Order: sequence, then C-alpha cells, then structure tokens
Amino acid sequence: MAQHRKRPWTFYVLASFFTLFVLFLYGPMLAIYILSFQGPTGGLTFPMNGVSLYWFTALFEQQRTGDFAGSFTRSILLALLVMICTVTFSVMAGLAFRRRFFGSTAIFYMAVASLVMPGLFLSLGIGLIFRVIDVPTNWFASALGAQLTWTLPFGLLIMFAVLSRFSRSYEEAARDLGATNRQTLQYVVLPILFPGLIAVALFGFTLSYDEFPRTLLTVGPGNTLPLEIYAMTTTVTSPALYALGTVTTVVSFVAIILSLGSIAIIQWRRGVRFRK
Amino acid sequence: MAQVGGVELANVTKRFGDTLAIDRVSLIVPPGTYCCLLGPSGCGKTTLLRMIAGHEAPTSGDVRIDGQSVVDLPPAKRGTAMMFQSYALFPHLTCLDNVAFNLKVRGVAKAARRKQAHEMLERVQMDSFADRVPAELSGGQQQRIALARSLITNPKVLLLDEPLSALDEFLRLQMRGNLRQMQKEFGITFVHVTHTQMEAIAVADLVVVMDHGKIDQADSARGVFDTPRTTYVARFIGGQNVLGGKVVRVESGAALLEDARGNRFTVPAGDTAPTAGETRYLSIRRDRIEMEKLADPSAARGDAVNSVVGKVWMTEYQGSWVKVSITLPDGEEFVANIDDGTFFANPVREGDTVSARWSAAAVHSLEHRESGFDTSRVGMHA
Repeated sequence: MAQHRKRPWTFYVLASFFTLFVLFLYGPMLAIYILSFQGPTGGLTFPMNGVSLYWFTALFEQQRTGDFAGSFTRSILLALLVMICTVTFSVMAGLAFRRRFFGSTAIFYMAVASLVMPGLFLSLGIGLIFRVIDVPTNWFASALGAQLTWTLPFGLLIMFAVLSRFSRSYEEAARDLGATNRQTLQYVVLPILFPGLIAVALFGFTLSYDEFPRTLLTVGPGNTLPLEIYAMTTTVTSPALYALGTVTTVVSFVAIILSLGSIAIIQWRRGVRFRK
Repeated sequence: MAQVGGVELANVTKRFGDTLAIDRVSLIVPPGTYCCLLGPSGCGKTTLLRMIAGHEAPTSGDVRIDGQSVVDLPPAKRGTAMMFQSYALFPHLTCLDNVAFNLKVRGVAKAARRKQAHEMLERVQMDSFADRVPAELSGGQQQRIALARSLITNPKVLLLDEPLSALDEFLRLQMRGNLRQMQKEFGITFVHVTHTQMEAIAVADLVVVMDHGKIDQADSARGVFDTPRTTYVARFIGGQNVLGGKVVRVESGAALLEDARGNRFTVPAGDTAPTAGETRYLSIRRDRIEMEKLADPSAARGDAVNSVVGKVWMTEYQGSWVKVSITLPDGEEFVANIDDGTFFANPVREGDTVSARWSAAAVHSLEHRESGFDTSRVGMHA
C-alpha cells in the first residue's frame, strides 16, 4: 500500500503509558544501582557525594551491615540444592507422566495444588511440624523442603512443555539400535532434553534465590539473603544496602545469562542456524 | 551368500483396548524379498510393521524370522532394524555418531566404531557429511543417514515406515529406486510400509494390500495390478474399471451379466461356477479400452456386449497416453486410457458421447469386497 498511514491518537496514549510503566519498573532499580557507588561520606539519597566502591567492601564487615557473607553463601548453596532436586525430580516425574498410570491425575493435581497454597502458611505449617517431631529447623532441611513445594510444581509444568515436543520415536530408535534403558536415557533422552533441563534449573535456582515467605519460618538460626535484606532495611541506614541490591542483581543476571547462553550454544550446535 | 531374513506372521492379532487393529493376519515373506505393506491410513500396516520390529507385541499369534519365533525378543535381538517415518535421527549427534550409535552401545572402541561408521557412510555416499548434524541435511540426505544407521546393525530384515513420505515428488522417485538398489546390494529382506500404490508397485517383489486389519491380497506387483482379487483391491490399486451385474446366462466357461442400465458384459466363470441371478463383478484395465465417438447420440444404445456408452466429462493429457473420463448414464465414472497416437488421430472433447468397448479376453473376474474407506479418491491415475 503506497498510501502513508497516520498513526491514530491511541498509539500515542498507549506509548506514553508504556514509557511510564518502564520508568516505574526500572527507574527505582537504576537509582539503587547508582547510589550503591556512593562516596564514603555520602548518604541514602541523592546527590552523589563522590564515587567509590566503599559500600561494597563494607558489605563484608559483619558488624556494620549484618551477616551478608554468611547469608549470601547460604542462599547460593540452598539455591543450588533446590536446583538439583528440582531438575532430578521434575525430569523423572515428567517422563513418568507421559504414560497414564493408576492415580496419575490425582497425583498431578496434588503436586500442582501446592502452587496456590499461601507460602507463609506453608512455612508456618512446616515449622510447626518440625517442632512437633522435635527436629530443629534449618536452611538445608526445613527451608529446602518448603522451597521445593514451590519449585517442583513449576519444574514439572516446564517439563510437560518440554516433553510435549519430544517424540517417542527417538527412544524407540535407540532401543531398536540395541541401547539399554540406561543407555537410552544417558545418550539420547537427556541430551535431547538438555536445553529444557537448563530452563528447569534456572527456574529452580532463581525461585529459591529470592524466595521469602516459604523460608521465613523454616530457615532456623541462619538467615538466607532475602530474609537478611529484609532485616537490614530496618537496621542499616547506609548505602551498603544498595550495594547489596546491586550484588544480588548481578548474581541473578549471571545465572540467567549462563543458562540462556548455554541453551543458545546447544541449539546452534544442533544446526538451528541452518533453519530459516 | 544365502539370502536371509524370511519373515513369517502366523495368525497375528493385535487389539488396542476394544479396537481390533490386526485381525488374524498370516503372511510369509521369503528371504531377500522387497515387500510392501500397502493400504489406506488406519488399515493396520504400521502396526504390523511395529510388531515385526518388536515395538508392539501381538495380542495373539506368532512372528518368526528365519523360522525362529521372536515375539519374546527385544527389538535389537530380532535381527531387524527399523527406519522410522521421520527418521528419528538423534538431533544432538553428528551423522557419524548417529551411524555409530549401535556400535557405541555395544561397547565397540571409539576408533573402531568411527572407522566402521565412515565405511557405512561411504556406502550411502554420505561420508562428506560425517561431521554435520541432522538439521543441516536435506530430507533425502537424512534418509540416507537413517538407512546407514539401520544397516550398520547387520539386520536380516530392514523395516521401513513410510520412508518416502517426507520427501518431495522428485526426490521420492529417486529415493525409491535407491532403496530398491540397496535392498539388492545387501541381499536382505525389506518390509516397506506405504499408502502410495505406485510406490509399492514400482519397488516391491511382494505387494501386500491391506484393509481394516486384514490382508486382501498378497501378490507380485504385477499380480495386484493386473489380476486384483477383490473389488476393493481393484479400486484401491487403481488403473481398473470395476463393473458389476446380474448373471443372465452361463455358457462355456463364461457368464453373461446385465447391469441396471441394460449393459451386457461377459465374465470368465472363475473358480466358482456362476448361477443365474447372482451378482458378479469384473474389472477391465483402463488401458485395454477402445473408444469411439458416436455421431448420433440418440442412436446410442449399447446393444453390443462388452461396451458402455457415456459422456466425456474430462480429458487429461498424460504424455504417452490421454486419460478420458466418461460419465455413464447412472453417474458412475468409467475411465479409458487411450494411447496418445490413437487419441490424436481421432480426438474427442468434453461433452462428446462415446462408446467404450473391450474384448472378452481383457475381462478379469473379481470377488466382491468393499472397504469402509472411500476408495474412489485414491485411484492410481486419478
């Protein structure tokens, strides 16, 4: 069509609205990232009083800013544990659910129902049970369990999406070529599903890394990072808090970039570059 | 080398829940045969193939390969190899590793299995693609890799599930010749599932025409084309005009039939003696019809035996022949494939009234059996 079309007025309204939304989304975060580089004498608000890495180093001095190093280590370890459990069980469950078996529907709904349960109550309940059976709550026990109630159903749903595009004929071909069940899983099923597994791992890791309500009453004596940050907002009155925000964001970004990057590399190797 | 890979199905039945997929099928495929299982989709041909491969277990009956029952053996222990419909090449492995997969799971050392896989790739002229992954190959190239991957297991029987359906027309013709050549070269049995009549007739020594979980006819390619056993086979394979009529008279080994419009045909008596009043069916090949334009349509009264009169509704030039479609007064379609020289010496046009004749010797007697499937749309030259 040669005729030049004028954009309707609604375009400008929606575009301005979207701009406002983006500002609202990223503006505050950007302010925090910038303020984390505040000079040593600077405060919690603009203007910047010089530029330094002072508050990043301050983070690791426990007495001033709370136990950042400890909670950061706990959160990363917990996130890794959650990730490993989520990937392992989601893959096994996903493969099992391809065939209908007795009670499969009931089990599926039971697994997914924990997504809609309020996290705080779940946390409360798990904390209670641990007290009843007289086992101390801890981040690697009760908190791990509490977080899995959240990440496993997610992982399972992602596996359903991944497996819906996985043809059974790959497994049949492998068996036809003499592979045992273990070899079929090892050499065919898992490698083909690998990009999907990375997606499940990424979800498991990030959901755990910033989980708050399910961890709150199950974490035991040592805080995870989100709980520590929450505690710090009431006690810390220095830009160290902002430095913490910057560090945690960088960790999340690194996790996402590593995952998406490795998926892209795998797909590229499998010749997606040759498809139109 | 003695030929191997005889396949025998003995009274094989397969049910999926309440659905009867295969109904007491018995078949003998001699060693070194190129066999095609042919039928419309849903006729059970793929299920039959998967039961030979061991990816499906028969509900009852026996599957034997070279005389030995294999129903209790896993796919890899049967001496069969299967080529899947979309090839199922492993997308994460190079062509070389795909072909070497069987050797790898059997524990053959890396250098030895690579050497063997390279040799197999050479046999299918794909060695220059060894380091590519399947997504980088065309459909025809993927098929050769799949073939190499199957053949490296030294199968006695190669099972091919619609091996040409993913290819375009040009490649299909080329690859089917290629498959036939490979089968001769390796001297093993091929069982090839297809729904394309021409494909089966072109490559197979033994064509097995299936319908509704049963075998209608297992015969040579020429046998199913030239002497179909039933009305279903004649219509499904195509290239035939199928007619029916009531027996009026029986004389010297032939019966005289009359259809509802008063047309009269002779049909050889066949195995069972015809009795007056019963309905008999016959087929005449489309290329055994002589056609004549009637100058005065009103005078047209097919008095002559072995002829019909109708209106031409379509002529289709096919190169060496012309397909003339004639509508009979009762709406039935009758097709004459006329040699191009004969046609253009005396051409007819759409709307002309013609009389189509054939000799009594061209008539073939059929058993009556119809399919629930619509066979009118799957005629070979349609």
